[in-house]
Amino acid sequence: MTVRERRHSSATSLSVVRAFAAVAVFALVGAAGLARADAPDAADPHAHHRQMMQQQSQQSIRRSEIEYTLPDVRLVRQDGKAVSLKDAIGDDRPVLVNFIYTTCTTICPLSSQVFAQFQSKLGAAKAKVHLVSFSIDPEQDTPARLVEYAQKFHAGPNWEHYTGTVEASVAVQRSFDAYRGDKMNHGPLTLMRAAHSKQWVRFDGFASADELLAEYQDLIARH
Amino acid sequence: MTWSLAAIAAPSQDTNGAALYLTGRLPDGGELEAQRPGGVVSRGVDAACVQCHRPSGLGTREGDVVVPPIIGRYLFRSGPVNERDSELPHPPGVLPNVYAYTAASLAQTLATGIRPDGRTLSPLMPRYRLDAGASATLAAYLSELGAAVVAGVTATELQFATVVAPDADPGARDAMLQVLQRYFAIQRELAAVQVQDARTEGRPGRHIARVWQLHVWTLTGAPDDWERQLAEFQARQPVFAVISGIGRGEWAPVHAFCQSRRVPCLFPNIDVPVVAEQDFYPVYFSRGVLLEADLFAARLRHYAGGRIVQVYRRGDAGAAGAARLRLAGLGAEFIDRSLPPVDADLTPAATLESALAGLDAGDTLLLWLRPADLRLLGAPPSGRVLASGLMGGLEDAPLPAAWRDHAEFSYAVDLPERREVRQRLARSWLQTHGLPPTFPRLQTDTWTACRILAGILDHVGDAYVPEFLLERLEMMLGRRLPEGYYARLGLAPGQRFASKGGYLVRLGVGDEPSVTAVTDWTVP
Repeated sequence: MTVRERRHSSATSLSVVRAFAAVAVFALVGAAGLARADAPDAADPHAHHRQMMQQQSQQSIRRSEIEYTLPDVRLVRQDGKAVSLKDAIGDDRPVLVNFIYTTCTTICPLSSQVFAQFQSKLGAAKAKVHLVSFSIDPEQDTPARLVEYAQKFHAGPNWEHYTGTVEASVAVQRSFDAYRGDKMNHGPLTLMRAAHSKQWVRFDGFASADELLAEYQDLIARH
Repeated sequence: MTWSLAAIAAPSQDTNGAALYLTGRLPDGGELEAQRPGGVVSRGVDAACVQCHRPSGLGTREGDVVVPPIIGRYLFRSGPVNERDSELPHPPGVLPNVYAYTAASLAQTLATGIRPDGRTLSPLMPRYRLDAGASATLAAYLSELGAAVVAGVTATELQFATVVAPDADPGARDAMLQVLQRYFAIQRELAAVQVQDARTEGRPGRHIARVWQLHVWTLTGAPDDWERQLAEFQARQPVFAVISGIGRGEWAPVHAFCQSRRVPCLFPNIDVPVVAEQDFYPVYFSRGVLLEADLFAARLRHYAGGRIVQVYRRGDAGAAGAARLRLAGLGAEFIDRSLPPVDADLTPAATLESALAGLDAGDTLLLWLRPADLRLLGAPPSGRVLASGLMGGLEDAPLPAAWRDHAEFSYAVDLPERREVRQRLARSWLQTHGLPPTFPRLQTDTWTACRILAGILDHVGDAYVPEFLLERLEMMLGRRLPEGYYARLGLAPGQRFASKGGYLVRLGVGDEPSVTAVTDWTVP
């Protein structure tokens, strides 16, 4: 994958950011918009770490822009149909991606609720946006269980859930740098991409529906 | 995950607190409402504390997200929680120097998301507006949560039991008990050394290994009396958990005991578990013959054939497998040829021969039989043959050579070449301890169960609470714990079968027959 900086501070060299974390760190304050964190002090080798810790404690999320290479794997949609990852993501609409498992009680219900809220806030525009949730517990999450889960979060026709073999699921997670060895070790993650684009916007942390919506509108304006 | 009040017993007589904590029902009968930053709202059971803080109240950790413990001993203590406090258990989610709450400041924090020390709670933690009655009910519940004396746990010892059903094969039972007794003896030796070291070094009592004691609960008579017998055993010698165990057919009374008495029952060597994943306390390696029936159903789903003839012995696990397959909606004609229980069958070869008579070439024969029966099979039929690998003994199944060309065995474990290293480890352990590998899967499963238990107990931070043991198991099983015979093991809230799939295989001939998968790994 390649990492690109879009809104890095003029005081921060790209190489410094890459050397520290391969992503730029922004603290999102409230639902209103973006507030940029101060650039790490290159003179202090621990400044970035301290800043990360401080931001984590302030419930920050990390936003980055990254190109991913998607593997050629087959997945199974909630209706039981086999679909390639490329087709699952699609290219003709903006797409949002998250990772869930249906028996998760901590992170995933909130991630799915945020997708539901995002879907609802889009109003009539929701038909133009594609939401994709990949199961990270594919052996448990049969298509039938995904259907039940999708209904619980009022997933509309443009929000699909995918399962597949463990190997395929791991390949998808790895391709988005979302694989953490086990479902119990995953973190909150949302990815967004414009139609016909290779560039993904990545949010590590609990991005709210308003934050996603602001990013989405920005994305549409830019493409 | 929806927890039923019956699934996890409340520590208090006040059921309102349990209803609030476990199901999100307010004392006035209304639904608990949780609001998160960004306007995300949950209600009822989805808003209940148990979803994140778990039945134990000891919290959890998911990736970088830490859900701290909220039992009363943490929240309402008089001083800060710190590392030097040897009185408190330190589960992984514990936050040092947590401000001590009162019932009033807790209600305030729940409403505002601001802790009494001024810090903001995680965005994962919702805001709750509780009235005075609900706040008091919750505070009372949390005060009692984790305060009860836990059965089978003392400052120096942990008591465990294993359960032997009357129908267990005596050889298999002895093989299981030898593994358990040997494992426990070694654990006791190691724990004794640790205790001695800690005393010598004058360290405080926290994080000192407890010595494991094993009790063998041997059931007698009919299954409908087993639950009573188990309750009696538990009353006489309370145990913290049941480890392993063995039986051939019925296991439901043991499951019922574990669930109703809040005793974790981990990984018994049985073929017919109870499928009730909303239950919390019993945990199994797999769905056994029920999983095999689903593997057969997946195999036969697109097979436009004749009849499906199922052969099993009454009272053995195969009856449950056969019943499961009949309900799989295959649209085929099913014929059951049930044989008398093995101890009532004076001429097993003759009974088998008559059970296999009159098969057409288009029929599928399904064998739910143990090795003693497989050994006696005569000439094979010309049609398709499927057989239970778990009951038949996997690659050791003594199927006559003439059957091996076209018989397909269910194989609900990892393939031999893939589990070779793990199995070599198990074999070497058995060898080191002078135990001949007479029942390799059973011995490996038993040893694996012990190692999993040890792995979890290393990570409970002295919180010897039955619910927390299971929560740690859910958390850790997919990561750092041994898999033994299985391709992978994993659990989660509401998942109680750790291995979920299998293959169909053909067996070669000879002492070490080849195992050739004829299907991909399938999760039916």
